[in-house]
Amino acid sequence: MTQASDLPDATSHRLEELEHGLFTSDLSVNEFLLVKHAGFHPVGFVMGSSIYHIGIQARRWGKSQELNKLTEAMYNARELAMTRMEEEADELGADGVVGVRLDVNYYEWGRDAAEFIAMGTAVKAEDGTSYRNSLGKPFTSDLSGQDFWTLMQTGHRPQALVMGTCVFHIAHRGLAQTLGTVGQNVELPNFTQALYEARELAMTRMQDEANRLGATGIVGVRLEEKSHQWGSHTIEFLALGTGVTKGTGEASLPVPTTIISLDH
Amino acid sequence: MDLRAEVRRAMAALGQPPPRGGRGATSDLSIDEALLLHSVGWEPVELVTGVSVTSVPWGVWTWGQGEIAAASSAYAKAMAGAAARMGDECARAGGLGTVGVRISVEIHPYHIEVALVGSAVRPVGKSAGRGRAPFVSDLSARDFCLLHSSGWEPLGLAFGASFVYAPRRTALTTFGQAGQNVELTNFTQAMYQARELAMERMQRAALAWGAGGVVSVVMGQGPMAFAAHAVGFTAWGTAVRVGPDGHRHLEPTMVVPLDDAAVMFQASSLRGEDA
Amino acid sequence: MTLAGPGSDLPEAAGQRLGTGAWSSGLSVADFAACGPMGLRPVALVQGFCAMQWGWYAAGPGLTRGGWGGPGGAGGGGGGPGPAPYAAATESRGYNESWPCPHGIASLEHRWGSNYEQPWVESAWSQGFGSAYRRMVEEAEQAGAHGIIDVVDDASYMTEQSVVEFHVTGTAVAVEDHEGQAPLWSTYLAGQRLAKLFEAGMAPVSVAAGLSSVMMWPNCQTEYLLGGGGGSMWVGPYQDEITQVTNAETAARRLVRAAVSAQLGPDILHGARFSVSRRAAGGGGHVIECTLRGTRVRHFKDFDPLPPPTPTVRLS
Repeated sequence: MTQASDLPDATSHRLEELEHGLFTSDLSVNEFLLVKHAGFHPVGFVMGSSIYHIGIQARRWGKSQELNKLTEAMYNARELAMTRMEEEADELGADGVVGVRLDVNYYEWGRDAAEFIAMGTAVKAEDGTSYRNSLGKPFTSDLSGQDFWTLMQTGHRPQALVMGTCVFHIAHRGLAQTLGTVGQNVELPNFTQALYEARELAMTRMQDEANRLGATGIVGVRLEEKSHQWGSHTIEFLALGTGVTKGTGEASLPVPTTIISLDH
Repeated sequence: MDLRAEVRRAMAALGQPPPRGGRGATSDLSIDEALLLHSVGWEPVELVTGVSVTSVPWGVWTWGQGEIAAASSAYAKAMAGAAARMGDECARAGGLGTVGVRISVEIHPYHIEVALVGSAVRPVGKSAGRGRAPFVSDLSARDFCLLHSSGWEPLGLAFGASFVYAPRRTALTTFGQAGQNVELTNFTQAMYQARELAMERMQRAALAWGAGGVVSVVMGQGPMAFAAHAVGFTAWGTAVRVGPDGHRHLEPTMVVPLDDAAVMFQASSLRGEDA
Repeated sequence: MTLAGPGSDLPEAAGQRLGTGAWSSGLSVADFAACGPMGLRPVALVQGFCAMQWGWYAAGPGLTRGGWGGPGGAGGGGGGPGPAPYAAATESRGYNESWPCPHGIASLEHRWGSNYEQPWVESAWSQGFGSAYRRMVEEAEQAGAHGIIDVVDDASYMTEQSVVEFHVTGTAVAVEDHEGQAPLWSTYLAGQRLAKLFEAGMAPVSVAAGLSSVMMWPNCQTEYLLGGGGGSMWVGPYQDEITQVTNAETAARRLVRAAVSAQLGPDILHGARFSVSRRAAGGGGHVIECTLRGTRVRHFKDFDPLPPPTPTVRLS
C-alpha cells in the first residue's frame, strides 16, 4: 500500500487504465441509459474492502445491554471499506458512486474475522458541474440506476450512504421469571425495551451521520437484523439509507401514464 | 387533477365525524384493480371464501390398477363444495360473480382440502339478478377486465382431476428391458389416459355451462408425496363464452420499459400480496 | 409497565431521535417521488414494538384441554354426554360447536369433539399488535406528523419460542398546508397506489388487522375420517365431507372477517390480505389461525373512475 492513499498497488493500476476512457460498471443496460439521461457518465467500477478482526465482549446472561466493542468493530470495518471505495472513486475524479452494496463475508480461515466489502459504480456529471457532497467527497448511495434517475427528477441529490449500527445483547429470562408467567398473555417489557432501544440507537446514529453531512433527509431506510456468529441473543441492528439534500433544480417528474400490460 | 387539493379535501373529511348508516365492506383488490374494474363499469363488493374438506377412504393409495376412483371423486367433491360455498357467500353479498380467486388444494393421504378466497364483484350499483348462480373465476381482476372489454364473460371455474396407479412391470419384463432403449408403452398409455381424463372432466364442466372455451388453465401433475406409485393430474381454469356482441379487438401500444424488474403498473402481480 | 414514562409509552431513545435533524423515511425512491405531487412531506421513520409472551403456548394441551386430553384423562370425556369440560371455551360471544359421538358407543375410542374459538389468543394478538401500533402512532405524533404511510407489520418468534415480537414501522408524513384538526391516519399504501386512492376519492383512515383462532378437537368420527376411516372401531356410515373440519376452517375465516369488520364502522377495508396457518396442538387437537389486514378507507367524494388504461406490450 502506498502512503498517500491506502489502496493496494493493483488497484491504482486498474484505475489508471480506467482513466483512459474505458469504463466498467455493474449497471444493467437500463440503468446505464437512465444514469446517462440524468446527465452522468459511469467512469468505473469501484470497491473497497477490509478484513476486520472482531473482538470478544463479555455479556451478562441476564442483562440487556449494548456491546459497544462489537458495535465499534462493525462500524469501523464498514467505514474502512466505504472510505476505500470513496478513495477509488476520488482517483477516477468521480462525482459519486451509485448502486453501492455493502456485504459481510466470513471465511473458514478466519475465526472472528470478517471481510467487509463495499462496491458500486462511480459516475461523473457530463456537464462538469460538481455533485460532490458537502465534505468535498464523491457522493455515495445504494440507489439503483432507476432510483437515481427518479430522485434527480424530484430535484433532490444524494449526499452519502449513511448508516448506524448497534450490537445488542438481549437478556435471557431467569427461570423464576419464566415460570411466573406461564400460561399468561403478558407483554415482556424488558424484551420490548431492549429491542426498542437497540433499533432507536441504530437509527439515531444513522441520522447523526446525515446531519453531519448537512443532508435534509434520508430515503430508502432499511433496518437489518443479523446475529452473525454470536448466537441468538446477540443481534446487530443496522440502519442504512441514502442521505439526500434538496437541490436548486425544480421537480420535473412527469405525471405517470396508467397502462395495462399485456405481458406475462 | 390537482392531487394536493384532493389530499387536503380528504384530510378535511377525516376531521369530520364518520358518516352514519354506511355498511362496512372488505375488498382484497388493490387500488389499481379497483380502478380497473371501475373503468369497465364493475365494482368489488366483498371478500368471499369457500372451504371444503373431504375424506379419502383408507387403503385407496395402496397398490392397484387403473384409476383411484375414490380419490378422484373426493377431489371433485371438495372442489365443487368449496366453489358452491363461495358462490353462496357471493350471492349473499350481492355479487354477480367472484374474480381473483386463489385456489389452495392440499391432498393428504386421508383427506383433501380445498380453500378458495376471492372478491365478489358486480356491475356498479347493480345487485345480483335472480335465477343465475354467481360465477366463480380464478381470473385476476386485470384479466377479467381485459376479457370483459374484449366482449367475453366468465361462466365458472371448470376443473377436473384423475388419480391413477402407476402401472407395474413384472420382474420378468423389467429384467428383459434392463439393457435396452425402449418406450414403456404401458406407462405412456396410463399417464396419457389419466391426463386426458382430467382435462376431459374439466371440459365437460365447461361445456355444461355452454362455454366457448377455458382460459388460463393451470395443470398440476406428479406423484403423491406420501405414495410415489400414485400419480395425480389436476386441471382448472375459467370457462368463458363470447358475449352477444362478439369479440372486440384490443389495440395495444408498444412500449420499451427501462426498469429492470418491469415495475410499471404491476397489474399482473397485484393480488394484494405486494410486499 | 416500565416502558411508560408519565404520559408516554415510548422509551427515551425514541424521543431523542424524533426531536431534531434530518428526516428519515423507509420509502423507496419511487414512493418518495410520489409524495411531492400529493403534498406529503416525510417527517420520520416511525416504529413500534411489543414483545408478548403467548400464554397458551406455554400452557400446552394439558391445560387448554381442561385435563381431558392427557393420557390419563380420556375417561373424563369418553362417551360422556354433555359439553366437554373446556374451562376457557365458555366465553359467550365465541364460536363453539360440539361434536357428539355419532355411534352411541361408550368406549375410549368413541369420544366427543368440539370446535371453539379461542378468544384469549385473539385478544393477546390484538393486544400485541395494538400496543406496537399505538407506539408507532405516538412516535408519529411526537414528530408532528398528520399520517403514516407505507406501514409494514410483522409478528415473529423471538429467541424463545413462547415469545412473539410485534413490529410495526412506517413513514410519518405531514400534509403541507393542512390546518384543520384530524386524527392521525395510517395506511399500508404508499407511492402511486396512495395517489390513486386519493384520486379515486378514498381517504385512508387507519390500518386494520385481526386474527382468529379456532381450536378443533376431532370427535371419533372426524378422527377416523382424517385417519382414512379404516380403524377397527369404525362403525358409522362412510361420508364424503368431513363436516367438523370444514366447519372449523369456515368459522376461522368468518370470524376474522367479523373481527375486522367490527373495527370498520361505515368504512371499507381496502387491499385486504388474508392468510391462514394451521398447526397441531398436541394431544390430537388442531389450531386454525387466520389473519386479515388492510387499510380502512373512507369515501370523501363520489368514486371517480379513471379512463381505461392503455394496453401495452413490452418490446424486450
